[in-house]
Parts: sequence; C-alpha cells; structure tokens
Amino acid sequence: MRARAPVPRRPGYLRARARTGFLFVSPAIILFGLFLMGPIIGALVLSFTDFNVRAIKNWLSASFIGLNNYRSLIHDPLFWISLRNTFYCVAITVPLTIIISLTVALLLNSKRLKLKSLFRLLYFLPVITTTAAMAVVWRWIFNYRFGLANWLLSLIGIHGPNWLGDPAWAIPAIAAMVIWRGVGFNMVIFLAGLQGIPSHFYEAAAIDGANAWQMFRYITLPLLRPTTFFVTIMTLIGHVQLFEEPFIMTEGGPLNATLSVAMYIYRLGFRFFRLGYASSLAYVLFVIILMITLIRIKVGQSEFGYGES
Amino acid sequence: MLHKMLPYLILTVTLFTTPMAFSKEPVTITIWAMGEEGLNLEKITPRFEKENPDIKVKVVQIPWNLAYDKLITAVAGGTAPDLAQVGTTWMAAFAAMGALLPLDEFVARSEIVSPDHFFPGSWNTGVVGNVVYGIPWYVDVRVLYYRTDILHAAGFDHPPTSWEELFEVARVLAKKGNYGLALSPHWQEFLPFVWQAGGDVLDETLTRPRVTEPEFIEALEFFVSLFQTGLAPIGETIDLFEAFRTGFYPMFFSGPWMVELISSRLPDIKGRWSIAMMPKKVTRASFVGGSNWAIFSGTRYPEECWRFIEFMVRPDVQVEWYRILRALPAVKAAWQDPFIAEEPMMQVFGAQLEEAVAPPATPAWEEIAQAIMHRVEEAIRGVRSPAEAVQLLDQDIRTILARF
Repeated sequence: MRARAPVPRRPGYLRARARTGFLFVSPAIILFGLFLMGPIIGALVLSFTDFNVRAIKNWLSASFIGLNNYRSLIHDPLFWISLRNTFYCVAITVPLTIIISLTVALLLNSKRLKLKSLFRLLYFLPVITTTAAMAVVWRWIFNYRFGLANWLLSLIGIHGPNWLGDPAWAIPAIAAMVIWRGVGFNMVIFLAGLQGIPSHFYEAAAIDGANAWQMFRYITLPLLRPTTFFVTIMTLIGHVQLFEEPFIMTEGGPLNATLSVAMYIYRLGFRFFRLGYASSLAYVLFVIILMITLIRIKVGQSEFGYGES
Repeated sequence: MLHKMLPYLILTVTLFTTPMAFSKEPVTITIWAMGEEGLNLEKITPRFEKENPDIKVKVVQIPWNLAYDKLITAVAGGTAPDLAQVGTTWMAAFAAMGALLPLDEFVARSEIVSPDHFFPGSWNTGVVGNVVYGIPWYVDVRVLYYRTDILHAAGFDHPPTSWEELFEVARVLAKKGNYGLALSPHWQEFLPFVWQAGGDVLDETLTRPRVTEPEFIEALEFFVSLFQTGLAPIGETIDLFEAFRTGFYPMFFSGPWMVELISSRLPDIKGRWSIAMMPKKVTRASFVGGSNWAIFSGTRYPEECWRFIEFMVRPDVQVEWYRILRALPAVKAAWQDPFIAEEPMMQVFGAQLEEAVAPPATPAWEEIAQAIMHRVEEAIRGVRSPAEAVQLLDQDIRTILARF
C-alpha cells in the first residue's frame, strides 16, 4: 500500500467539508436550541415580568416590571432561609461525598480485593434507585421511635433525635441521604481516574522505599488532579441544586428547615404559579453556581502540579 | 356502455351518501379522571353511551400526583380535555386562568342540576367569584375515627362531642405512653377548629383576612394546647394504620376512604372502632372536599359535556357510583337510597355533610394555605405565641392578596 501524499485540493473543498460537518451536528444543535437554550432565554425574559396564574392561558396579561422581582427577592426572608439551608447542606455533603467516594475507589482499586464487581454494584445502586422508593425506606430509618438510625445510636447509649421532625436535625438527615446517593457516581469516576495512573510510578516509589501514605500523597493525589477537579465541580453543581430529597422526605419542613433554593423555586413556580418571580430566583441560583464554578477553576489554576487543572 | 350505467351509478352513490350527510356522526368527548375514579369510570360510561347514542366518551386516567401539573400544562399548551374531574381546592386556580367554562346558563335551564340538590359547602366549592364553574361529583368530609374499646376501657361510653370532651378524652388516653390523638399542622386538620369556633380565614368578599378575630385565636390556642400538652405528636410521622391498631393513636381525623382501608388492612380491630362527627364549639363544622366536574373553555362540545355532567349527578347514577367506589355522593337525594341510608357509618357522614365548610375559593388559596401552615407550626413549636402568630399571618395574607 502506498503511503498517501497530500492530495491537492480544489477550491471550496474545506468549505464543503465544513458544511457536511455542520449538517451532521445540526440535529443536536436544533434540539439543544429548542429544548435548552430556548427555555433558558425564556426564563430570563420571564424573570422581568409579573407572570402569575392569570397569565398561564393568556400570556399577554403579564407585564414587564424590570428588576422588581430581583428587588423583592432581597427582601424575601424565605429567599435567605433557602440559601442558608442549601449551603448548610452543601457544606456537609460535598466534602464528605468526595472524601468517601475517593476512599471507596481507592479500596476498590486494590489488587487484593475479591468480588470487586459486587461492591461496585452495591455502591452504585443508590445512584440509579428512584428517590421515591428510597424516601420510603429512609423515612423508616430516620423514624424517631422505631427507626434503624436511632436504634443503632441507642446501642452506643445515645438517644437519637427526631431526625425529620426536628428543625435542627432535618438538614443533617437529608445530607446523609444525599451523600449515600452521590458516593456511587463519584466512586466510578475516581476509579477510572485511578486506573489511568501508570503503575510504574508506584513501582518506582516502592523501590525508593515509599510507604502507602507517601505513595498516596505524592503520586495518587497529584495524578488524580484532573479527576478531582471534575468531581468537585460536578458535585458542587449538583448538590447546590438540592431538590429531590427535601421534596419527597420533608416538603421543605419542619418550619422551612429543609427548604432548599430549588424547592422554593418549584413551590413558587408550580404551586403558586408565580413564574416570573420563580424565574428570577432560578437565575440567581444560576449566577451563584456560575460563580462557584469560576472560583473553583481559579483555585485549580493556582495549584501547581502535573498537567493543568 | 359506461354512459348507460352512469345515471344508475350516480343514483346509487347518492343514495348511500345522503343518509350519512343527514345522520350525525357520534361526537367523542375526552374526559380526564384521576386515581381510583379514573380507573373505574369506564364501568359507568357504557350506560351513558347507551342512553346517548350520539356521544362517545373517551376516559383518560391520570394519577393524582401528576394531575395538577398535567392539567396546567395542557391548559397552557391548548391541549386541555373537554371535561375533567377537578379537585375542589384546584377550582379557583383554573377558574382564574380562564381555563373553565362558566356553567350558570346550563344550571339555569337544567332540571337535574340545581344548587339545592347539593350540600351547601360542597356546591360552593364549584363557585368562584359568584360564577359556577364546577358541579360536585363526589364529596369527602372529615370525621373523627376512634377506638371504641380503648375509650370504653378508659371509662368513656361515647365519643367526645365537644372541645372540652375531646381534650379530656385525649388527656386520659395519653397517660399510657401513647398519644391521645393523631394531629398535624396541616390546614385541613386545623381549619375545622376555626370553623367550629365560628370564625374563618377570609371575609365574604375574599379580600380581608379574619385571622386576628377572637374566634380564630381561640381555635389556634386550643389547637396548640393539644400539642403542647403532649396529647398530639409534634413532628412525628408514624404509619397511621399500625398506630391505630395498637392504640398508639387511639383517635384521628380523616375522610371516608379510611373506612374501607381500615376494614381491609386491620381486620383484627374489626368492631372495635367507629366514627363520629366533629366535636362542637359553636358548630360541629368539618372540612369538605371532593371532586367537581368542570368543562374546559376550549371545548367544541359544551352541550355534550353538560349532558354527561347531568348524567353523573342523577341520583340513581350517584348511587351506582357509590356501589362501585364507595365515594360519598354529592347529591342529597342519593342519600335517601336505602343502600346508603341504612349504613350506620354513612349516617355519620351524611350528618356531618350538613355542617361542612370548604376553604375560600380564591386563586390565592395555595399561598394562603402555606402561610397558615407555617404560622400554625410556629405556634405549635412554641417559636411564637398564638397572638403573635396570627398578627404575622394577617400580614402574610394581606401581602399575598395584594398581588391578586
């Protein structure tokens, strides 16, 4: 077979190829535009209106009110409460999810473990289970009198609280559910990252006399940086949008202790039909997530190590 | 040869198509029905189709938890059905959207549908802003469920009939390490006390809150006292059936569906429980809910839909529906039927329906209800005193109403 020499192109060849490329991509772009960008821009427009229940059938009855929705948000105590609840939960769930999933991934990556597939399956199952089914079980686990959680605590002499009925303990209870659900997904990603680290680094380190902790600190962690970066951002973005667990377990109670931002948006938009106001809160959430992500990227760039973050 | 046949051909074709032009194509109306009702409606629609050969009925069944969103989406997207079962607390929102057809004219010329054929609280759930938008199909009313044997053992030979008796019975029953009754801050459990005291949430114009009036405060204080003295649980959820069976919750308030459920799930307490009307303060008022039939404004067949509604509220059809699903008939005449009149539990429900109240039919209701539940919960947990809570609730409601 002859090696191919660069073939002289006739004019317009590249443009024709570009056209073909666009043609192939167009279904995805059209769908993206219609179902993602369209509603996103629509919500932005809505956030400047007073769209309410009367406007559902008669769109024109809504009027533009400029930044009034955003001004009302600042004065809305439930806005601040929902922000506080969401970030309280995120502060617990994000670090713990990442640490636990990394630990599990490290354990599952060890060569000596049997039944790896079984464990991987068990850890990943919560990710794909429906929240409604989990809610039933977790409600029993957290039951004040007859639940598993308080029974386990009583074995070590602690009188467990009314997890879902006490405003002080509701968020930690929800956090436990969120972590349990999120670990599996991140574990799979960490596993992939771990398996991408060439084993000759470890062999070289073993020859140099490094122990397990040193290997972890100086080989695993740095080489895992791209994966960790991805995992932290995805977990942050996901957990700030906390919705399903409070929606199904506590409906925002008790006393609005588990009212997350996403839940408040849902309540405003789909129970009260204040779609204009709900859209403005959605955009505030969007900006917050955007800022968190930008901060994470900046922090990532300031770390020095192998590869860029 | 063809030209000879042509006249005969034309005649034959005309002969066959002319009848089609004159006879009416059966009209198909699409009906959305929810939950158990949706699953069972087709047991009764064939009878309607037989009596009305020019109408075909297509029933679409929607689960309750999706129904609200689906209806809203359909209304917004212009794909609403012709007719739907609409929960009583949803009526005001859909009416405010302009999604429903006003029915006053139909009611005026109908012989079957007339306001005095229905229980007053129930009829009002279909009236929004003085316009009739829905006709009650079946009702649900809340009553007191109680363990006859536990009460008897504690020395009570009849269920509590007043607030004082309710408190006393609960207090005695709560001594043995369980609660006196199951209760929650939900507005459907709290508002009956307000109505029993003679108060309400809004005035008749539905523009002014009445929550700072003495009746409301009295009801709130009584309600709160049940929790704060440990007679009712704060923030605990237990499976109600197990709790009723073991006597952990010897009393609770609920609707007619619990009769069937308790009988089938808890056979070992058969004959050891009963129901009673709400306790009395000034009245023995209870919460009335249920479902109404509403015609959507975009329908092409309003007359046919109305005939279906007239069918469903005919007393004999109401009785048949009761036989199918045990839902309480909305039409008073149906209660005379011996099948219903002779059932002892139905007698309690029937009596309670005469004194049942529905929440105000305003599109702001969802928001107001949320505000009520929040302030009531605050009072129960001692975060605020009842007097403080009603002041804040008053402000909450005014803010909400200002936007309407």
